[in-house]
Amino acid sequence: MSGRVFSVILLPTAECNVACDYCFEHKEPHRLSLALVPLLTCRLLDHLDQMGIGECEIYWQGGEAMIMGPAWFAEAGQIMDRAAAERGRRFTHYLQTNLIGYSPAWNDVLREMFNGSLGTSMDFPNVHRKLFKGGAEAYTELWTRRLHEARAAGIKVGVIAVLHRASLDAGPERFYRYFAEELAIDNFQVNTPFPGGPAAKVEGRFQLDTSELAGFLSGLFDVWMERGYDAGVSLGPFDALMDHFTGKPARLPCIWKENCSNQFISVDAKGTVAQCDCWVTSYPEAFFGNIFREPDLTHMLRTSSARRDFVERPKYLVENADCLACRFLSICHGGCPVRTYSALGTMMAKDPYCEVYKAVFACAETHARQILRRRVLAPAASVRQSSFT
Amino acid sequence: MTEPSDQPLVFLPSESIAEHEGRAFVAVIRTSEELQHWLREPSPDVQWLQVERLLVDADACVAAAGGGSDVPLDVVLSDPGAEFANLYRLVDVLGAREVRVTMPATQGFLKALRLAASLRIPVRLLPSQPSREALDELAGAISFYLHDPMVETPVEPFHSLLAAMRNSGFGSLWMILEEDPAVFVRYGHDGQLRLPRSVEPKADEGALEGFVERHLAGLVAEGAECVTCPWQQTCAGYFKWPDRTYSCAGVKQLFATIATAAEEIGQELAALPASMRLAATEVMQPATAEAVGPIATEGEPL
Repeated sequence: MSGRVFSVILLPTAECNVACDYCFEHKEPHRLSLALVPLLTCRLLDHLDQMGIGECEIYWQGGEAMIMGPAWFAEAGQIMDRAAAERGRRFTHYLQTNLIGYSPAWNDVLREMFNGSLGTSMDFPNVHRKLFKGGAEAYTELWTRRLHEARAAGIKVGVIAVLHRASLDAGPERFYRYFAEELAIDNFQVNTPFPGGPAAKVEGRFQLDTSELAGFLSGLFDVWMERGYDAGVSLGPFDALMDHFTGKPARLPCIWKENCSNQFISVDAKGTVAQCDCWVTSYPEAFFGNIFREPDLTHMLRTSSARRDFVERPKYLVENADCLACRFLSICHGGCPVRTYSALGTMMAKDPYCEVYKAVFACAETHARQILRRRVLAPAASVRQSSFT
Repeated sequence: MTEPSDQPLVFLPSESIAEHEGRAFVAVIRTSEELQHWLREPSPDVQWLQVERLLVDADACVAAAGGGSDVPLDVVLSDPGAEFANLYRLVDVLGAREVRVTMPATQGFLKALRLAASLRIPVRLLPSQPSREALDELAGAISFYLHDPMVETPVEPFHSLLAAMRNSGFGSLWMILEEDPAVFVRYGHDGQLRLPRSVEPKADEGALEGFVERHLAGLVAEGAECVTCPWQQTCAGYFKWPDRTYSCAGVKQLFATIATAAEEIGQELAALPASMRLAATEVMQPATAEAVGPIATEGEPL
């Protein structure tokens, strides 16, 4: 068996309990039935067998995943893990939730199935994440309360923040202070916005100027390096870039993988298979097939004409765009197909955030060089010190 | 992997392997069927599979990415300038087994070299007797190897030449590039022995013994430019084969570029206090610390 890991972004429901402005998902009232979990599991395990892969990471998302309830997850997790163990395979489960539906009733399943941790989302300042009643302010208040409750129960919480106009206006220092110091979160990541699918009509509202965005991210990188890097605060994707540029093994985010089509898929509650959650919820023209209707997932992935575009994209970019000449090719490979598609209507172009990424990469490279220099100088400093004692 | 041995390593077409049972060998694979057979049932004596035309066959790449054995692959590109984008097909294979890419220094090879480096795949670049255009591209390749932070894996022969010029490598270009016929014995698909870069069959393996030494001695006796060449020991007449009249002016420039880089590294290290040198070596030369695995580097045949 190879050491490869296959990942599945699994959406047990498209329903959601909040009303965020920039959500691109169709919120259909459809939930994954427990009766279908064994079939879904079997299809995934067959694929792992055919590909010689031992481990599969399941990223449970939505919609809002917690709508399914803790008992549903406990049962689904048991079904999947038991079937995997019988076939010498392993599932590792991760949960991404808005945390609004969290209660102590979740603690057991979070500890047993999700290794005592979860991922959630919050922005700073929060102006777009809203409750159906009460708006953004009420959302922030409730989310913050749930965050404290979960952490008080010993649950490790990581946070994803999507940048928007008001984040840039607040500035990187205020942004960093909110997450790392006011909320004391030691593991968070920043995502760039990309409106797509049904949200495309409001695209203009969330588009950020790339040079402003690059400036914000570079500034945030500097603040994190000054206050968080040595203090153990993990800030993605900067931390992975620092690992890369300081010569450590780095797990870069999916947007910068050699080819995301090789590494994961997304499956929704109806069994629709697509490249990732963004595609499965928004772009029917790019669906690969249906995992419940087609008996062989490996065959579906091999023969899907929609998937061929994903497979061919990096090749197309090195032949037709300027990616091959870029000194950051090894950590970017043309960026994210869905960001490209949502902005340009085709994925056969490089990511529209190319210049933003280059600015962030250059920032990481500069900081990493300083660290490497410090490492070279460190032994000398200790020698000097010892000669005086 | 078998234990290192003094025996030559034999490169055999898949169909002739039964005749050479019991020897360490590299299987030369040309079809998807052969590849799948060797991945499923690798002989204990097989050191790696030399796979030709793999990249044009998407299904073969999928098979190579599957489980079963972890036998390493040396993927040979015959036209790197045209095939380079297909290197993306090796991404999954890298998770299943060690992979090296071998390519001739023909027009456009630098594109394949850049992409292979970006995917962290070790490269063996076969310069043969480079044309003027190829020399320009080789100069670009050396600059890329020496200065681009994207390079994390070895690019041969530059990697071993730099090591040799820093006094930590050994062997001539013939060894570095696995073309010394006394050590790397190649059989053609007709079952006949072959000298490197030659289509002429040879009678038996005994005739290959001392080939490089005889070749260099002959060049020296003829008064070829090797007599006064500062790179004679590391080259050993590599660039005077098969055309003994090939002018080495261009390749001497390439050697000089690597030698200058080696010297600069030496000077920078010497300028550091002794206590810093080890740390600086680790920081400044990450590629030289990289182990390539079972495929020979730095002139090591096995």
